[in-house]
Parts: sequence; structure tokens; C-alpha cells
Amino acid sequence: MVQFFQQLINGVSIGSVYSLMAVGYSLVYSIMNFSNFAHGGVIMVGSYIGFYLLTSAKVPFPAALLGAAAGAGVLAIIVERIAYSPLRHRSAPFLYFIISAMGASMFIENFVVATIGPTFKTYPAVFSRWPIEIGPFYIGRIDVLIFVSAAMCLLGLVYFIDRTKLGKAVQATSFNHRAASLMGVNTGFVITLVFAIGGLLAGIAGVLFGMKYTVYPQMGAITIKSFIAAVFGGLGSLPGAVIGSLLLGIIETLVSGYFSSQYRDLISFTLLIAVLIFRPIGLMGKVTEEKA
Amino acid sequence: MSLLETKNLTKQFGGLTAVDNVTFTVEEGSITGLIGPNGAGKTTVFNLITGIYKVTSGQILFEGVPIHDREPHVIAGMGITRTFQNIRLFRRLSVRDNILTAGHSGARYSVVDSILRTPRYVQEERQLARECERLMDLMDLTEVASSRASSLPYGLQRRLEIARALAVKPKMILLDEPAAGMNPDETMQLMSLISRIRDEFDCTVLVIDHRMDLIMGICENIVVLNFGRKLAEGPPEAVQTNPAVIEAYLGASGEGVAVHA
Amino acid sequence: MEWFYVKGILIQSGINLTAVLGLSLLTGFTGLFSFGHAGFMAVGGYAAVFAGMRLGLPYPLALLFGGLVAGIVSLPIGRLTLNLKGDYFCIATLGFGEAIRLILDNVQTFGGARGWPGIPVTTDLFNVAVVAIIGTFVMVRLVNSRHGRNMIAVREEELAARTVGIDAFKYKMLSLFISAMYAGVAGGLQGYYLGFLQPKMFSITKSTEFTIMVIFGGIGSITGTVFGTLLLTALPEVLRAFAIWRLVVYGAAVIFIMISRPEGLMGGKELSLAALRRLFGPRPKREVPS
Repeated sequence: MVQFFQQLINGVSIGSVYSLMAVGYSLVYSIMNFSNFAHGGVIMVGSYIGFYLLTSAKVPFPAALLGAAAGAGVLAIIVERIAYSPLRHRSAPFLYFIISAMGASMFIENFVVATIGPTFKTYPAVFSRWPIEIGPFYIGRIDVLIFVSAAMCLLGLVYFIDRTKLGKAVQATSFNHRAASLMGVNTGFVITLVFAIGGLLAGIAGVLFGMKYTVYPQMGAITIKSFIAAVFGGLGSLPGAVIGSLLLGIIETLVSGYFSSQYRDLISFTLLIAVLIFRPIGLMGKVTEEKA
Repeated sequence: MSLLETKNLTKQFGGLTAVDNVTFTVEEGSITGLIGPNGAGKTTVFNLITGIYKVTSGQILFEGVPIHDREPHVIAGMGITRTFQNIRLFRRLSVRDNILTAGHSGARYSVVDSILRTPRYVQEERQLARECERLMDLMDLTEVASSRASSLPYGLQRRLEIARALAVKPKMILLDEPAAGMNPDETMQLMSLISRIRDEFDCTVLVIDHRMDLIMGICENIVVLNFGRKLAEGPPEAVQTNPAVIEAYLGASGEGVAVHA
Repeated sequence: MEWFYVKGILIQSGINLTAVLGLSLLTGFTGLFSFGHAGFMAVGGYAAVFAGMRLGLPYPLALLFGGLVAGIVSLPIGRLTLNLKGDYFCIATLGFGEAIRLILDNVQTFGGARGWPGIPVTTDLFNVAVVAIIGTFVMVRLVNSRHGRNMIAVREEELAARTVGIDAFKYKMLSLFISAMYAGVAGGLQGYYLGFLQPKMFSITKSTEFTIMVIFGGIGSITGTVFGTLLLTALPEVLRAFAIWRLVVYGAAVIFIMISRPEGLMGGKELSLAALRRLFGPRPKREVPS
């Protein structure tokens, strides 16, 4: 029983990081209606920025976290401007967006390989590695940090989307671009904003992930988990992305704890197949019919 | 005899009822108009007939056979095809290839036939090409046969979309606002084209348009929709003088629409 | 340059071409994007080597077997995702590409992560050339049939394709199946060329490079696919010193092509197809009156 709860805690921790990634990805999906497969590159760059702010610039941790978030946000906007915006303006087919995203992802990842190098880097110990003891449970300080930061980011996002005027504009745009722009919403700005938010969350996720594990140029590949989590929860649904991520994190940890860690990465794929067989629209997805 | 029949056709999107209990018939060989103010549910009816949307309740019968649970390509195979309000051509293909592609069901050769170029492939391909040329000729598209669809002027794109639909050899064609964006001259041409479709291609026509003059000029029967409901049905003269129709078109202005929507 | 070296590049070009032709049908002609083509190549490679070394099938049949198995593996993926929005297919192929590597890493009978050594080196320039030429020939004829046209129609405007009676789902499945078969055969060629197979040979980067070859050549052009593949297989060998920056440049080039010239290097595909038809077809130009 103790072991089970211990695994659960780990699962929630990793699930929280997935959810930061998945929410950013889902948010962009809900507005653009296409999967931003360059999201992983943004996460990786955020992680590197955080790493260098801590090691070379030696800034305090909160500043490093904010710096990484800001840097990743800016990168996400640049990617949108260069790789997607021209396609958007001539309403290019879905395929072109995906290809352009692949190009961006490839560029970012290999640019880091070429300039910084392919080696793994380990974050400096910001916190004591000693876990916190609560009764029979051990909770890593990093896990607490991950959970708290993720929860704060997500609550902040919910507040922004539900309570602010800009947030309402985002919702309106996701519902119907044309109608929103007719009602005076600057949809171009909303798109930039959404990429910026996705980037901010990606930067934070990158730092947290880097602290828990390591930093390396291919770490963006981890986003496949968040894509699958997003499908699990319902593509384009933000609550779905969070729930899908947490569940995926928990299932993964339980399986690797009780069976073998070798199967951990297969879990997400198995889960994806199960979702596609039984509930392709995901847990919280809506059925949509293409407008003709 | 009625070719197409809808019975209590209903479509809901979430809480919104776009088409509400609509029953009407389209007689074989007729030109029937579907009219109504914006948001009346006309295009939704087309999407239901062609299987793009699934009906919430009610029935659609084509030649007496229920088709409302069939896939769009099956419905097309049974003889119903359409054009779109916002023109959906195979944009990067030539005019010829647009029509040639749509004629595919005129051939039956297999993948293996195409790889081995069997006599069957050669013969059926030749037949497809011949029909494509004939259709381009009838629709005055031969001159632009090799142009990219997306490079055509708007009016020609509309005509190509109709030609592509006719290549399916339909029993019934649904035209969604074919006159949208056309000048009076082009509209006149279109009206005569629609009559020709019925006469030369032996094809029943169901047409949506806002332009009362166009609809009144060519349709034998008119179905009027308003807020998803059928308001009236009948020959043009009867519909034109129907008080409910006049009310919907003239009485209720933009404000009324906003309140109801 | 030594012949041995050039021959190696040519053989690798032929293997890549076989895989990329299939991807070209899927992405270039049907408009479906796959992140997992290296996965199909892996399945085909292992299946072909299994057929040859464990079942004792002769080399050509082993290759065919590999292709068939890869094709069959693609079917459930297509069945689950191809009637949904395109994103689902992309994510599923991404997951598949990763999963297949993890599975092969753990299947000890095929050598696990250490790989499968000792495969008799059977693939040579001659049989690669035969496979690549047959592959090109079949592909050209396929895309110039009603089946090929229907796939293109699905790429151009799926909804309209369905309303003219094209079973979009069936054609996407067909395209995926044929495409995976090509990748599978290429996997077999690869295994029998290198003399060993290893799961990590079939990474996502490999899938990406195949896609880039299609895009460089031009979406919807077989000629482009052939040139793109030959060029991009030879280029890294020639520019070894440049290796680190190669993928950076590819990434930038892909974006540039998409935002400025989606037709790729070849551009006018009609012209190239007509030229190919003259080259491969039994009749000059269209054999139909026009």
C-alpha cells in the first residue's frame, strides 16, 4: 500500500510535467486546428535556457524559471511567425503546416546539437536531494516543486481564459475564427498570444523536466507523451489535456513500478491504441462535424 | 413520381436545432428551389442529403430507399451529387483532371489492371477521357482544359464545379448558391445552364439561392425554410403570395433574426 | 572517387528510393503525413531477414514477405485513425515509430537492442536497381490510373472527393498499405545490404529524412521523388565535413519550401510526369484522345 502511494506521487509529479506540455499544445490546437509538432523543440530550448541561467548566469531559481518561460515564449512566437503565419495567410492545406512544423522542430533540435553539442547536461542541485518525509511516504522536493508550479500555471491559465477579456477573445476565436473577427477580436493577435502562452508553459515544463531528469537536444521527443495525453483527454480540450496527462503519468509509473520500466514507454502507445479503439474523441472531447 | 423525399428531417448541433422537422419532396425531372433567409438551414439540408452530416432524426428517401445513414460516397454512387457554396475544386489539378477524376465510377479496372496496363485499363481509360472531353465541350470548358482549376476566374470555377458534378452522371444534382458572386449577365447564363442540365443530362435539380428572380424564373416547385422549419412549399406563384413567406422575407428584419438566433 | 565508394552511395540511394517512393504516394499524392515510416521499414527489414534466415525463403521472396508484413501492420493503424482528423494519424504514426523500436529492443530472438548480425550480404547494385526501377515503374502507372487520381482528389479536397463518389477512407488505406509495403521492401534490402539490423537504425530522424526527400523533390511528383532521393542520399556523403549542420539546413530548407515553393525543386509536375510517361509507358504521351 505504501509502495502504491509512493508510485502514485511519482506518477502525479511526472503527469504534472506532461500536463504543462499538453495544455500548451492543446491550446494551440484549439485555435489553429492543427498539431504544432514543433512544441517539443520549444520545451527543449526552454530547458537549456533555464540550465544556462542557473549555471553560467547563476541567477536565483525563480528568475531562471521565468527567464526560461520568457525565452521559450519568444521562440514559440518566432516559430509561428516564420513557419506558420505565411501558410495561414494563403490558407494552405493542413499537410503544409505539419511539414513546416517538422522543419521547425528539426531546425531547432539540430541547431542546438550543432552549437551546444549532443551531450546530456545535468541541472545543478537547486534544492536538497533529500526527500520530505510525511509519515511513511517520501516526497522528493523536486516533485513538490513540479506539482506546485504546474498547478499554479494551470490555475493561472484557467483564470486568464475564464475571467479576462483577452481570455474570452481566445475562447471566441477557438469557437469560430470568422465570427470572432467580425465581433472585433483581433484574431492575429490572439494567435500570437496563444503561441506565447503555449511557449511559456513549454519553457516551465522544460526546466522542471530537466531538473527531474536531464537536458539534451532530443528531449523534445518527450512531447509525444503529451500529444497522446491530449488525444486521451480529447484533442483541443484543456481540462482533457490535464486529466489525460495525469492519468498517463500515473499509469506509466505504476506499470514501471510493478512490472518493468522497459515497458513504460510502450504504455503511452498502448493507451493511444485503446483510446482510438474505444473512444476516439477522448475523455472530454466533443464530436465535431466538418462544415461544408 | 417523387425522386427525393425527406420525412420529419431534423438536425441538432448541441442545443441548436438547425433543421426542424422538415418534410418535402422533389419530383423526378423537376427543378426545385430551396430558399429562405440566412441561417434558415438550407445548406444543412444539403449536407444531410449528401451524407456529410448525420441526421438527428427523420428520414431521407431517394427513389424510395432510405439514404440518411449512408456515407457520402455511397450516396454519390446512388446518383446524388452537389456543388458547394464556397467552391471546393481540386484546386491544383487541371480542369480536365478535375472532370476526369470525378468520372472515375465509369471505370471498374483494378489496381493490378492499372499497373499492368491491361486492355481493360486502356479501354476504360479511353472511355473516361472521351466522356471528359464531351463534358468539357458541352460546358464550354475545352479552351481552359489544361489550366489549373485555382487559376480560373470565379464564374468558370462555378461552371467547372457543376461540370465535375455532372461527370458523376447523377440522377439528381444539388446546387448550393450557384449564382453567388455572379453579375447579372453570368446569372442569366447560369439560369439557362440549369435548364440545360435538366433537359440534356436528364438530371433532377435542387437549387439553393437567395436571388428570388433566379429561383422564380426557373423552378417549378419551391420549398421555403425559415429558422430551420418549412414555411411553405409549392409553385412560385403560390409561394410568392404566401403571407408567411412575405413576412419572413420583408417583415422580419435583421433585428428579428438576431433575437431568434 | 573510388568505384567501391560510389557503388555504396548508389546502393543506398536505391534502398532509400524504394522507401521514399512509398512515402511519396502517401504524403505527396494522398496528403497524409507519417512520422513512422522508418517503423514500417524496420518491420519489413526484420520480417524479410526472418523469412530468409529462419524460414529459408529465397531472397526475392523474403523481400516481398517483408513488404507484405509491413503493409499488413499498417492496416490497423489506418483502420483506427484514417477516418479521423489528420492529426490522429500523425500522432499514431509517431507513437508507432517509437513503439516498434522499443518492441524490437526487447525481442531477444532478433537480438534485442544489440541487433541482428550475420545476415548474408545479398543486396547488390544489380538487385537494388531492379527493385528501384520496378518500384518506380509501378508507382508511375498507379498514380496515372483512376486509383491514383482518386488519391490525389482526397489530398486536394477530401469532402468534394467524397461527394463525387470517392471512398476517401478506402483510398487512404490503400495508399498507406502500398506505402508501408514499399518501406518494408526497403527495410529488407537494407538488412541484406548491411549484413545486420539494429532497432536504432530506424529512428524518427530516419522517417524525417525520408519525408524531406519527398518535399525536396516536390509534393505529388515521382520525378521529383527520384531526384530528391538521389540528391539527398549523395549530398551528405560528399559534404561530410558539413555533417553537423546538414540537418539544421534541411530544417530551414523545409520551412522555406513550404512557405515559398511547396511544389519543391521539380515544380511543374505535369511536365515531369509526361516526360516519365514517355520514358516508361508503352505508348507516347496519353494513349487516349485528347
